[in-house]
Amino acid sequence: MTESRLADLTARVPGLRLLTELTDLIHYGRDWTRRWGPAPLAVALPSDAAEVQAIVRWANERQVALVPSGGRTGLSGGAVAARGELVLSLQRMNRVLGFDATDRLLEVEAGITLHAVHEAAREHGLLYPVDFGARGSCTIGGNVATNAGGIRVVRHGTTREWIAGLTVVAGNGELLELNRGLVKNSSGYDLRQLMIGSEGTLGVVVGAQLKLTDPSPPAQTMLLALPHMDALMEVFGLFRSRLKLQAFEFFTDVALKHVLAHGAQRAIDASEPYYVVAEYDALEDRDEQAALLAFEEGVREGWISDGVIAQNEAQAAALWRLREGITESLAPRKPYKNDIALRISAMPAFLHEMQALLARAYPQMEVVWFGHIGDGNLHINVLPPEDMAQAEFLAHCERVTRLLADALQRHGGSISAEHGIGLVKRAYLDSTRSAAEIALMRGVRTVFDPHGILNPGKLFE
Amino acid sequence: MKILVGYKRVVDYNVRIQVKPDGTGVVTEGVKLSANPFDDIALEEALRLREKGVAEEVVIVGIGPADLTAHLRNGLAMGANRAIHVTTAEAVQPLTAARVFLKLVEKEQPGLVILGKQAIDDDANQTGQMLAALWDRPQATFASKVEIADGKATVTREVDAGLETIEADLPAVITTDLRLNEPRFIKLPDIMKAKSKPIDVIELGSLGVEGGDHLKTTHYAAPPKRSKGVMVKDAAELVATLKQKGLL
Ligand SMILES: Cc1cc2nc3c(=O)[nH]c(=O)nc-3n(C[C@H](O)[C@H](O)[C@H](O)COP(=O)(O)OP(=O)(O)OC[C@H]3O[C@@H](n4cnc5c(N)ncnc54)[C@H](O)[C@@H]3O)c2cc1C
Ligand SMILES: Cc1cc2nc3c(=O)[nH]c(=O)nc-3n(C[C@H](O)[C@H](O)[C@H](O)COP(=O)(O)OP(=O)(O)OC[C@H]3O[C@@H](n4cnc5c(N)ncnc54)[C@H](O)[C@@H]3O)c2cc1C
Repeated sequence: MTESRLADLTARVPGLRLLTELTDLIHYGRDWTRRWGPAPLAVALPSDAAEVQAIVRWANERQVALVPSGGRTGLSGGAVAARGELVLSLQRMNRVLGFDATDRLLEVEAGITLHAVHEAAREHGLLYPVDFGARGSCTIGGNVATNAGGIRVVRHGTTREWIAGLTVVAGNGELLELNRGLVKNSSGYDLRQLMIGSEGTLGVVVGAQLKLTDPSPPAQTMLLALPHMDALMEVFGLFRSRLKLQAFEFFTDVALKHVLAHGAQRAIDASEPYYVVAEYDALEDRDEQAALLAFEEGVREGWISDGVIAQNEAQAAALWRLREGITESLAPRKPYKNDIALRISAMPAFLHEMQALLARAYPQMEVVWFGHIGDGNLHINVLPPEDMAQAEFLAHCERVTRLLADALQRHGGSISAEHGIGLVKRAYLDSTRSAAEIALMRGVRTVFDPHGILNPGKLFE
Repeated sequence: MKILVGYKRVVDYNVRIQVKPDGTGVVTEGVKLSANPFDDIALEEALRLREKGVAEEVVIVGIGPADLTAHLRNGLAMGANRAIHVTTAEAVQPLTAARVFLKLVEKEQPGLVILGKQAIDDDANQTGQMLAALWDRPQATFASKVEIADGKATVTREVDAGLETIEADLPAVITTDLRLNEPRFIKLPDIMKAKSKPIDVIELGSLGVEGGDHLKTTHYAAPPKRSKGVMVKDAAELVATLKQKGLL
């Protein structure tokens, strides 16, 4: 049966590149989560929108599930194909299609990597400001589908702010040009916004018009050591009021231990439970003075015990590695990940409750905290003890996540800040969204994808 | 012993250099300026020698406009004892810099002068050698390892053929290569402390050194862009294309 479906596909889309080798199926069947065994039907690598459209139409007729796939750096299982789906990889659709200096829009195919977008923007003397550690592999299509955030959200917001238009093949096979790069467009529902964060369940993004902006002014990068948890939000408040922050990230001593073991440079002598990487505009001496005064004040208040400042971009990169290297340094341990969001004002109270909850729930496990604290976004990674079976570990983590989800609900937070629901947080969607909201989301999905062929089982059952 | 260290400010190594549209220079406004990486290494080495007890005092030297002060404060925060700021509004070429250092050497009587092997703005790679000649003292350039004992410097040099180890009687001039050390981060509390460290300001002219250009740069241009590669279908087309270009 399998054979006949694929034979039909190749007959309809002559020249379509299709991979069926076992190594390819494994490679394309999983993302950065390693919980599900990859088992796709095959991997299609279309070269243009017409081929994507033909694949989606074929999938509708033959009732084949599709998994839209970008760089598979996702952390929520959204791009996992473990149930005989066809992986629809945008990998070959990675071109820059054009740039308009008047509109300041860069038009790209969806399979282009975030890094290539940065380079293209730079060639025009401009900036595409969404940025994070996976930049070399993740794609614009994946960024749109997850509404990716990253390390510049404090200054520039999430992917959503930077999308002026999307070209999409909807689940029903229609090719849609959403918003076409307009700044203002008051002509009804903005379907572009629905696509952003839809995790591949409404349509396949094939192209995007990205807004570009002025490059950031020269920045200075600091690493600070903080003696206690309450200091985190105090220092954030202090720095935000005194400096033009470009980034404000934190991690714990446990996270530091892992990146150092992974080859990063220590950079700071002090040993404290919390660390912050702060980056801010430093155009003139005045800015540097303001930063030093803020630092002094933080020290006086007992919120900061030590700090270093990068003297050049190479040292700034070394400081950033301490933060950006965490995910990679933990990967071999297959951590269980939480990616939660709160209003910044709710953070201090929530942090205390969380710390107590995690200490009770994971007494014998290593818990690694880090994240985009300036956006109210925490990453909590739990590492399995060496001697615990994976199934037991996961079951335990799921029980704790339920408690976490309850706490989040009480504090008005979200179970996914930027990684998406995918497979990993499906069971907890109702802690963030009301039953009425979920019903409408399902309704929207049915309109876009009546046969449910796009990423079934992701986001909701 | 006293160590004199050259501490120049340049456009940061990681900044993509842009040539001014009229070809009169490169854009330095609104771009990140940092210490010349080789000078950071020179200062780091001097500080380590002081920490080992080989030297007592590390003095950094900057030659440039009035706003160089903030840059010198960074060197003081990193750990230098004091700074000398030789002021001039003009760009400084290697021979001028070497003459300035000679005057300062006469005044300060250091046991060692450590300079970068080159500054990454003009990549001249001349100041250290010129200073050694003017001063008539030994030079050990491109150092990747430095040991000081019994009035001698034992220096491992990075040369084309590999590594070479030489001995030089002090006082001498050493220029640093990339692998000599990894410069430390500046501690924020040390920036506060550096505010009270002295910076001597000396006008270039008052040293009896003539500034001015020994070399005139007539025009700046970006290197030509590499043209895009051509995709060929198969070996036959490759051969045909190479023949057509006269390469086969
Ligand atoms: C080291 C590291 C650091 C990270 N840091 C961050 C961070 O700071 N912030 C952050 O937000 N994320 C981060 N991530 C997570 C991940 O990189 C992002 O979610 C990214 O947006 C995923 O892009 P991708 O191309 O790899 O998507 P994939 O993993 O391939 O897919 C992700 C989801 O998007 C869907 N999808 C992919 N392409 C398309 C398309 N063309 N059309 C429709 N749907 C599509 C998939 O079906 C899936 O549901 C990090 C990951 C790693 C490994
Ligand atoms: C002098 C003048 C200048 C203007 N300049 C601008 C301008 O610069 N930019 C601009 O965008 N517009 C402008 N407008 C148009 C108008 O003011 C805007 O469209 C404004 O947003 C309408 O607000 P309203 O409360 O008057 O809405 P209404 O006219 O009462 O209603 C407008 C629409 O919104 C719906 N609506 C109203 N309230 C609700 C609600 N609570 N929930 C759901 N739907 C609701 C109505 O059903 C209707 O469809 C201008 C109008 C005037 C008279």
